[in-house]
Amino acid sequence: MKLINMIFIVDDDPIHQQIAKIMIERQGICTNIRVFSDAQDVLDHIRQHADKVDELPDLILLDLNMPIMDGWEFLDEYSVFHDQLPKQIRIFVLTSSIDEKDKERVRHYPVVNGYLTKPLSKEIIEHLS
Amino acid sequence: MLEQHYRHLQHLEAAINACALSVNLDAAECITTLNPRMANALQQPPELISGRYFRELLLPADETQWARIWQQLRTGQSIQEQICFLLHGNTQLWLEAAIHPVMGNDGQLTGCLLIGIDITDRKLPELRVMEDEQYFRQILENLPIGLQQFTPEGVSVEMNSRQRQIWGAQHAFLGDAEYKWLQDPFYRLNGLARMFEEARDTGKTLKREILLNYAEKNYGNVTRLFPLYYEATIFPVTDRHSRMANYFLILDDITEKKVAEISLQKSERLLDNIIENLPIGYIQFDNFGFIRRINQTQRFFFNSPHPAARRNFNVMNDELATRFELDKLFLQALEEGNPLRVEKKIDFSQDERWTTVGREVYLDLTVFPVIEPVDKEMIVVALVNDITDKKMQELENVKNQEFLLQTGDIGKIGGWEMDLETERVRWSYQSYKIHDCEPDTPINYEKAMRFFSPESQPVLEGLVKQCIETGKTFDAELTLISAKQQTKRVRCIGQPGYTNGKRTRIFGVVQDVTEQSAIEEALTRNTELMRLFFDTVDMGYAAMEKDGKLNFLNQKAEKMIGQKVEMGSNIFEVFPRLSGTVFYARLQECIQQRQSQSFGIYFSKPDKWYDFLLTPMQDGGISVFMRDITESRKMQKELRKANDQLSNLNKNLVNQNKQLEDFAHITSHNLRAPIANLRALMQMHNEASSQQERELYLGMLHEVIKKIDETLNDLVEVVQIRKDVNVEKEKLLFAERVQKVKDILLVDIETSNIKITYDFEQAPQIEYPRVYLDSILQNFITNAIRYRSPEREPELHLQTWRENDNIVLTVQDNGIGIDMERFGNKLFGFRKTFHRNKDAKGIGLFITKTQVEAMGGSIRAESRPGQGTKFIITFRPE
Repeated sequence: MKLINMIFIVDDDPIHQQIAKIMIERQGICTNIRVFSDAQDVLDHIRQHADKVDELPDLILLDLNMPIMDGWEFLDEYSVFHDQLPKQIRIFVLTSSIDEKDKERVRHYPVVNGYLTKPLSKEIIEHLS
Repeated sequence: MLEQHYRHLQHLEAAINACALSVNLDAAECITTLNPRMANALQQPPELISGRYFRELLLPADETQWARIWQQLRTGQSIQEQICFLLHGNTQLWLEAAIHPVMGNDGQLTGCLLIGIDITDRKLPELRVMEDEQYFRQILENLPIGLQQFTPEGVSVEMNSRQRQIWGAQHAFLGDAEYKWLQDPFYRLNGLARMFEEARDTGKTLKREILLNYAEKNYGNVTRLFPLYYEATIFPVTDRHSRMANYFLILDDITEKKVAEISLQKSERLLDNIIENLPIGYIQFDNFGFIRRINQTQRFFFNSPHPAARRNFNVMNDELATRFELDKLFLQALEEGNPLRVEKKIDFSQDERWTTVGREVYLDLTVFPVIEPVDKEMIVVALVNDITDKKMQELENVKNQEFLLQTGDIGKIGGWEMDLETERVRWSYQSYKIHDCEPDTPINYEKAMRFFSPESQPVLEGLVKQCIETGKTFDAELTLISAKQQTKRVRCIGQPGYTNGKRTRIFGVVQDVTEQSAIEEALTRNTELMRLFFDTVDMGYAAMEKDGKLNFLNQKAEKMIGQKVEMGSNIFEVFPRLSGTVFYARLQECIQQRQSQSFGIYFSKPDKWYDFLLTPMQDGGISVFMRDITESRKMQKELRKANDQLSNLNKNLVNQNKQLEDFAHITSHNLRAPIANLRALMQMHNEASSQQERELYLGMLHEVIKKIDETLNDLVEVVQIRKDVNVEKEKLLFAERVQKVKDILLVDIETSNIKITYDFEQAPQIEYPRVYLDSILQNFITNAIRYRSPEREPELHLQTWRENDNIVLTVQDNGIGIDMERFGNKLFGFRKTFHRNKDAKGIGLFITKTQVEAMGGSIRAESRPGQGTKFIITFRPE
């Protein structure tokens, strides 16, 4: 098992934020977990710290349905500048949608490493590390 | 001196004779003299007694004693003893006797003097007591229960054989005189010592069950310990001075009884537990109909306001029970002795005394009589299963089915479904009707395909194939040849169905649009005819540029415009009545799409109906055909109405599909998310190690459940609106409804200081469901307040006007606005929010849209961030 330095959980559902945080902490694969309710905040964070490797997450769990900026918009914007970042951030879409269309659409984003459906489970978290 | 001595002796003799019996015997035990008292006791005259052998008259009861006495007398000793004689060989005579030997000079016994006081009256009861005591002792000794006597200090005084047996030969009670059992930890633990002390301190008799010790039993090489239970009784015995001197302990072996009792209790407890935790309700009645017990599920179900009140409940005379004939059920079960199972509808709202169910419920009742194992009494048990939800669902299903059947009949719309694996096809009743087939004829894919015309069949096959392979939905108009060889135009709509994310079936509808097509064809033909005969028929014709500059008008057209028209003038100038009509919009459409546009306009001033046909021409100009259709208007209107109805159905059809998609989306996103949370939380809860942690998860669970509940309630509201297509409409004045809503929102309006203005002059009223219109208006006003800009005074303007047959309502605010490019497609979505506003639930506009669309209308929005929002609602009149 490889330890992950920093994980960002991006989800507007506060309950899911808590669940994901607790489960990941339980599993002990990561100690530094941050939660965001708005994808815009994540984008801002990454842009601001684009030159500081330590401030960038190693992994992002991204929800699709969110107010203001949703997962799709985030992916669109992120795709534009991700190759200028000093490290590769792994992105997993974590959504409650089981719609094939969403899955197919996610496949078109090379920056996404995987499509996960809620609920989060031990097996999924193990898979992440 | 001698004389004095003699007198003294005489006195003595007289005294003795007065109270005692005396007799002189010689050495041979023959009577020499006796006093009258003795003679009296012997019940013989003294002269007959003298010289007789003493034993003949008074037989000593104890010969050994008598022989010993004579032996002592012979040695010269005096005797003082209690002696029993038998008078006439049977009647006891007890004497407290003093016997003096009379010795001869040779030292030999010559006789004796016996003086005795009759103590028979005192001695006999004393003897009886002694006898009794011996008798009881013997009984006590041999009693089958243990008996033991203690001093108040707890020193064992005596015990009977059973008690010795109980303690066992090795017990300290039997060996150690100094044994202090009250301090023995074993008896302190089992309570016997405490019990003794209690009896001693209170002076009361105590009776308790005590686990006295354990017995070992060997089974092969296994030794098992069995508990030995005794019933211990401790009671004080008061002595003559009323001091409690002695305490008795009785031990009675009840092990067998106790063990049986315990195992009975155990099985009873188990049964009890099972009954208590049954997931269905359990009610037990005695044979009079009184409720004896109710298990947890049932208690929870009844939720009695006063649980104690149930005690008085009797199924045979309770008002509610008899009204729903539960008494009959009870009797039937008792009489027939067999279990009964029935479904019952019971209206619990009729009772408030012992239940707060307060609604109609369907119950699955199983009633059976049982003989209670302990009391051997007949009881009746009722198992109660609340099947209301199931039943309601069933009823709802039947209703829905009827509803679908009805819509199907009206619109000639049939449903179909094909299982991809088996290729088995299912048709609804209406589908069979469209195909002119007997209902329930088995259909498969191949058979269904054969109904289509040679041209249509490959088209449909292609669409189905594509749908199977890619999931693409289809909607096509095709030709079908029914079983009765009738050619029909049908509209086929199909979409894939998923099971576990896999396409497993295709389903959709088939609609008979033959009539509709015929009318459309007729219209097209008409247009062609018009085009052909425009010169000869009574029709106006104009040729113009795209901007409306007229190049040519025929006479009829001029007549219709109502004035002489110069070439080169603009149609909007010479024909001003066109402004404010759809003419301009349709002209633009005609120019952009390069397609003919036909429409009618009603001119109120001359009260004329004109039919227009705009046709783009090769050279870029536009031909305008005008026809006065006022005369045939009525006929035409009816035709259009029929046409409208059909296209309405069409639209409904599309709507239905859209709604299905919507719901699929909502379930996928808005219900799956919290349910996924529930699953995760349950797992975490089950694996949690500490109570604190579990409580945290339970708290989170509550939150999630609350959220699901909210979502479901919102959905239910929306479904209700969509289902209620026949909701009652009434004539409503916009101004009145706005005022009403303003009254409701008075506080919010005042706090926000929003300025609400309106102009309803052009269309002051509408026929619409009042609840919907109020809700729509309230929603817009609330939104305008909620999303007002902090930079300016909030304002809201409402306006209505007529557009063709429709009424349009615009609602414009100067609030913070919405980025339409970004959020436009989500604006009216379910639970979509675009602001960081905590109150935003994303439900208002979704409901508004539903309420507008349920009545056939439409809604859209125009907005720019920071510049306010304008909603445009088009209400369709009926």
